Amino acid sequence: MNEAPDLEAYRRQARQWLSENLEPRDPGKASRERGGGHDSPAAYLPARALQKKIHQAGYAGIDWPTEYGGQGLTRAHARAFAEEARAYQTPELGHAGGTTFGPVGATLLKHASADFLTRHGPKILAADELFVQLFSEPAAGSDMAGILTRADRDGDDWVITGSKIWTSGAHYADYGMCLARTNWDAPKHRGLTWFAVPLHAPGVIVQPIREITGGAEFCQEFLDGVRVSQHEVIGEVDAGWTVAQTMLLAERGSGREDPVNMPVTQPQTVDPVLLRVAEEAGRRQDPVARQAIAKIHAGQWARGQLGTRIGGLMLAGGKPPAGLASYWKLAEGMRVPERARLLLEIGQGTPLTWEPGAEGGDDVANEYLNSRVWSIAGGSNEMQRNAISEQVLGLPREPSFDRGKPFREVTRDARNWK
Amino acid sequence: MDPELSDDQRLLLEATESFIKAALPLARVRELIDAGPADAGPADAGPAGTGPAGTGLADGPAYRKQAAELGWFAFLAPEDLGGGGVSGEGLRDAAIFAELRGRSLQPGNFIDTNVVVSALTAHGSAQQREEVLPALVAGEAAAAWAVADPAGDWSGPAGVTATEADGGYRLSGVKDLVTEAQAADWLLVTAAAPGGPAQFLLPASAPGLTVEVMPGLDLTRRLCRVRFDDVLAAPAAAVGEVGAAGPAIAAQLDVACVLSVAETAGAMQYLFDLSLQYSKDRIAFGRPIGSFQALKHQLADTSLAVELSHACATGAAKAVQAGGTSPGGAEAASLAKSFIGDAAVEVAHKSWQIFGGISYTWEHDFHFYLRRLTTDAALYGSPAWHRERVCQLAGV
Repeated sequence: MNEAPDLEAYRRQARQWLSENLEPRDPGKASRERGGGHDSPAAYLPARALQKKIHQAGYAGIDWPTEYGGQGLTRAHARAFAEEARAYQTPELGHAGGTTFGPVGATLLKHASADFLTRHGPKILAADELFVQLFSEPAAGSDMAGILTRADRDGDDWVITGSKIWTSGAHYADYGMCLARTNWDAPKHRGLTWFAVPLHAPGVIVQPIREITGGAEFCQEFLDGVRVSQHEVIGEVDAGWTVAQTMLLAERGSGREDPVNMPVTQPQTVDPVLLRVAEEAGRRQDPVARQAIAKIHAGQWARGQLGTRIGGLMLAGGKPPAGLASYWKLAEGMRVPERARLLLEIGQGTPLTWEPGAEGGDDVANEYLNSRVWSIAGGSNEMQRNAISEQVLGLPREPSFDRGKPFREVTRDARNWK
Repeated sequence: MDPELSDDQRLLLEATESFIKAALPLARVRELIDAGPADAGPADAGPAGTGPAGTGLADGPAYRKQAAELGWFAFLAPEDLGGGGVSGEGLRDAAIFAELRGRSLQPGNFIDTNVVVSALTAHGSAQQREEVLPALVAGEAAAAWAVADPAGDWSGPAGVTATEADGGYRLSGVKDLVTEAQAADWLLVTAAAPGGPAQFLLPASAPGLTVEVMPGLDLTRRLCRVRFDDVLAAPAAAVGEVGAAGPAIAAQLDVACVLSVAETAGAMQYLFDLSLQYSKDRIAFGRPIGSFQALKHQLADTSLAVELSHACATGAAKAVQAGGTSPGGAEAASLAKSFIGDAAVEVAHKSWQIFGGISYTWEHDFHFYLRRLTTDAALYGSPAWHRERVCQLAGV
């Protein structure tokens, strides 16, 4: 196709194809993406097949270059298809699908070589290759550039050894986009490289992490002398931090949710869980419990208002968007644990135990256990406070003891800290 | 400030900022505070706004007239008196101005006068709308709303009863926390009448009505106790139907909350900006104290609280503007008031720590803001009072 098809014609064509080929979406059906990671790889085969069908029909990678398996059209075309597809059951590829078609896809398009994208692109778009992110390590979370996984050159290959953690979906994905240290003499940010690591390669062990809630949504990976071709480097050797920043920016865009627009004349519905817990404790009329209910309710309402305000500030352009996004993240990281604690207080002792097998009996306890996930993951409260104070408020950056030092010396000095 | 202001709103804001800067900047507020007595006795009845020398913070008729020219008292008036502000959404515009007032701790009856204007517009008799409303809008007269009892019940009827008598009703009891009542020409008082709540518009000079300026924490406003000793209210003084004023009182409280939280957000922003600048200027241990992580994190949390407060103030203004007297608007007003009341005190305390020793000097502006924010939290209903109101509105 020499010219992009007219947008309206494209939309109509997409609508036609969708109605003939996909099932209508059933809002009642629970989405697997919110699931607890208990699904086996085989459970994702139907979704992969559906994605392949969509790709073969020419509706995957709509704005990706054709050389990489895409359709070479514009973002507007991709958006039009996405809008039309909302009414249909699209492939539910879980966390790995989210990373592949989200931050990983965006980062690969920007930084991977033409050779890499020619080989991997079509397979990604057909869901033959699902990518997860191998970023955090047991030894490095907030200090993202402080990773210890190493990649050493051996002939035409690289040999990777180390451990990664908190990867969602690794148990059924095909590749990990893996950050490793390739230069120990350079300062920490300047000796990093990304690799596409096949998760079924010899030397790779993927292990589910048993979490405090009893679930196992996340995995830990052990890489023991994993051999990867030099052609599987993503971006330039030792220039991985630039690639990382693209990835982080791509992830941040997906953070904020717009508030649900309730009709203004009606009071905002109080979360039924709050009422249920108060009732079970016989405290619906207890003024102390009512104060706690109203506090949680006010926090929820304030959150919605903040989302609207941040959206407006981002459009107005006076402050850096990454800093503004930090307000949202920090607000949630503070609100959610506060809510969970208040909920337990409302229920007094009643949510602490439940009837064996009771449906939802452990809701409050589970909410409590999960309550600090977003205070810690995706940029902890403390990191958000650094970002707000430095990028928005203009306060000085943290003094650094490792910024210019060869990384080799950093770990040595850290262990001898006085 | 709401990032979505129109050009018209921006223009009027600039005019207001200029007015405040010229007429009553913070330095002048300080002068008035320092000129007044350390404690105040009962205010002499005098022509509104002039007050006897020594009531300290009377904002004066000139100030009020100029403010009126900027439309400060017209927002909630009928259209033929200039109501609707610049945007056609009078309450939202009024909230924008309230924020500027809060920034520089302006005294005066802005909130109460607007509440009374809204009350007369919605429920006033023809006579009240003809004789009183235009004077309020023009800044020729000021009004105060006597609604809370000394125990802090803001639902309306508490504190004063109205019993039927010859010539109308006799009002007896005490109202408290009435803003700048000593400078008011008119008092709108809510009372418990036979059959339900009632409101009466009385001249401040009514026999049996005593206004006592109370010494208080907030130095930028006078809060008064108003005693009613068998005060006669003629039937013509009633605002709306006697015994059925409940919905009107609730709607007025929503208006007061929207304007109050806007003032509070403005004051919070100013205090935060002051503390942020201080943390950049103050040196200790060889570097600005704002470079220490403990303070950076405090300031980040405080900044978030200020942003949340602006967001809630805007949300409440929108909801009450659009929702009118609906439970949705009322709930939003109380959600905002309870949230921002708590946040205001929190921000004041965090700033207190940032300033360190200097916060304990009279000469530093910190304590003026501390006093105002702490009082804001309780005026028109404390956070806890409003949380219970939320529960009732939301059917908990």
